[in-house]
Parts: sequence; structure tokens; C-alpha cells
Amino acid sequence: MAGAIAAAAGVYLAIGLAFAAIFLTRGIVKLDTRAAGVGWAFRLIVLPGVAALWPLLWSKWRRVR
Amino acid sequence: MSVQYKAVYWNPAKRRYDVAIALGVLLFLGVFIGLTAARNPSATAETLVIRGTSLTAFFLLHVILSIGPLARLNTAFLPLLYNRRHLGVTMFLLALTHAVFAIVQFHALGDVNSLVSLLTTHAPFELFGLAALIVLFFMAATSHDFWLNALSPRVWKTLHMGVYFAYALLIAHVAFGALRAETNPALTAVCAMGAATVTGLHLAAGWRERRLDERTPESTAGLIEVGRALDIPEKRARIVSAGGERVAIFRYDGKISAISNVCQHQNGPLGEGRIVDGCVTCPWHGYQYLPESGASPPPFLEKVATYRTRVAGGVVYLDPRPCAPGTPVEPSRIE
Repeated sequence: MAGAIAAAAGVYLAIGLAFAAIFLTRGIVKLDTRAAGVGWAFRLIVLPGVAALWPLLWSKWRRVR
Repeated sequence: MSVQYKAVYWNPAKRRYDVAIALGVLLFLGVFIGLTAARNPSATAETLVIRGTSLTAFFLLHVILSIGPLARLNTAFLPLLYNRRHLGVTMFLLALTHAVFAIVQFHALGDVNSLVSLLTTHAPFELFGLAALIVLFFMAATSHDFWLNALSPRVWKTLHMGVYFAYALLIAHVAFGALRAETNPALTAVCAMGAATVTGLHLAAGWRERRLDERTPESTAGLIEVGRALDIPEKRARIVSAGGERVAIFRYDGKISAISNVCQHQNGPLGEGRIVDGCVTCPWHGYQYLPESGASPPPFLEKVATYRTRVAGGVVYLDPRPCAPGTPVEPSRIE
């Protein structure tokens, strides 16, 4: 059971990081225009949250698209 | 308040605030580690870091939880509230350092995956700590204003109320962990004092707020009598409870305007702010609204509800029915 939880957490986080790489370069501006033209430091600050809350942001991004 | 995000909105006051946080944390850590190393020369560097960061983070959490009620009880504490999220992120980073060192020391040296080892621990206090760390992570990771818009202010605020859940988990973490192993009762006494201080301050602030809400002003012909116009300090507000909502009634330049007391940013109390450059300015993070319309000055987009007022015989009357957020309402003139 503990092994399954650890593996699921690892997979979830890996997907989250992959999603963050795409979202922070293309999606974030579509979701919030205030992110347009903002530097890498801002993206670095929101990256952990994007990787952790990726299902929510993915769903919002899909709706915007 | 912005039309474009920045990584961190620094101004001279915030820089001083952050320097004070950094110096305070380093001083606290340094004194603790120095005293512990002097008392117990056999303690390893890892042990000193684990204990030092945990104690500093736990102390910071008490400070963070106390700032809110202190600011409600005395406006002198508002500057501490202004940039509280930096304190929160600092506290999370200290807690994370504590967790990383503890996991490496107690779970990473065997042949089992360290997360599996942690999840199957026979010491439940570690699981309380892990759960608290997860809650604190979500709060720290969503502390930027981007998340306020991405999640909506209501969801964001609810998420960040999780700090109380994290505090309860950390009390359990400390009670079943450090306090069980500690023979000196001083640590237990300090923890109890900390919990009593946080609880007492919240009760006192809650009691004050409740008194404000219960003070229902007199109502005549559907209008609420707020009081004498000149009793409201210039460029300041009086807060009244109208129909279950708090309304801030501002006096400025011989006029009276009323807007919702709740800032769109983080529900800050607008009525405890003042009018700066013609705008009602939230005391928490400086969000601004025009008193006549409840709308932020262009190009900003935030809006709060406005209320109609009347001044007769020097007395202010309020129509408790809110207008839609951003609706312009002609200010009442003070005769």
C-alpha cells in the first residue's frame, strides 16, 4: 500500500512537472493576460504550484482553448 | 494590484520587512544552535539543523497566526500583516529543511525507498508532520497573486485557512514527537503558552468583531442611521453591519461615500484603511478603490459593491441594499 502511494505520488509529480514546462511557456498567458511578458523568476515562483495543481490548470486551460 | 505580474512586488518597506525576517531567522537559529551545541557537544550537525529549523519554523508559525488577530485588535500591528505571505514562505522553507534532514537521517539510509519508509513508520508523529508539510506546501506554492486569480479569491482564501489545520497537525507532531522524548517540562510549558497565546488572541479578536456586528444601528424608513458625519475622521471610515454585510462609510473632502468593507484581493477590511490619492486604500496590501464607484482606478479591474447614503442635519444615513460592484453612486454632501 505504501509502495503504491509512493509510486502514484511520483507519477503525479512527473506529469505535473512535464505539464508545468508546457503550461509556463504557452498556457499561462492564455489563462491570465497579466502573465504576458513576465520574466522567468515569476514562472519559477509559480512552478511548484503548477506542478502540484496541474489537473485544475489543465482543465481551465482546455476550457479557455 | 497590477496589470502585469512581477516575481515579487518589492518596495523599500517590503525590503526592510524581508531583511528583518532573514536577520530574525538567522539570529534565532544561531542562538539555538549555539546554545544546544554548548550544552550537548556530542550533537551532530544534522541533529542541530533538524532541531533548529523545526523550532524556528514552529515559532514563526505562532507569529504568523498571531499577526491577524493582533492587527484586528490594534492597527499598530498592520505593517506586520502587510507582507505576511513572505513570513509564511520562510516558515515553509524552514519546515522543508527540517523534513529533508529528518528523512535523510532517519529514512534514507536503509534499503527501502525513503518515502515508503516514512509512510510505514512506527512513529505516527512523523505522519502528522508530513501531513502538515503538505498543507504548508500548498499554501506556500499558491502564495503569489497569480493563484488568487487562477483559483478565485474564495477558493484561495479557503485553501489558506488550511494554516489552522496545519497548526493542529503540528501540535500533534510536536506532542507525540519532541515532547514525549523530552524530560525537561520547560518545552511542554512553552508549547502550551504558544497555543494559549494563539487561541486567546483569536478569541479576543473574534469577540471584538462580534460586538461590531451586533451593534445594529437604528433604522428609519429603510435607512440605517450611521451617526454624525463629522464624527467620522477625515479620509477615514466608520464600519457598520448592514443586512449581514459590513459597509465602510468614508468621509472625505466634505463628502460621504459607502462601499463594501471587503477588499476583492484577500478580504481585507477596507474600512480600516484610509483615502490616499483619492482612493480607498486597503490596509492589508494597498489595493485601491474609488469611493464613488467602488471600482479600482483604470487600468485595474477590481470592483466592490457601493451603497447609497444621505446626510440630513449632519447625520449620515445608509441604504443597506448594495448596488452591483463598481456602480457609481453620487456622494452625499455634508451640509
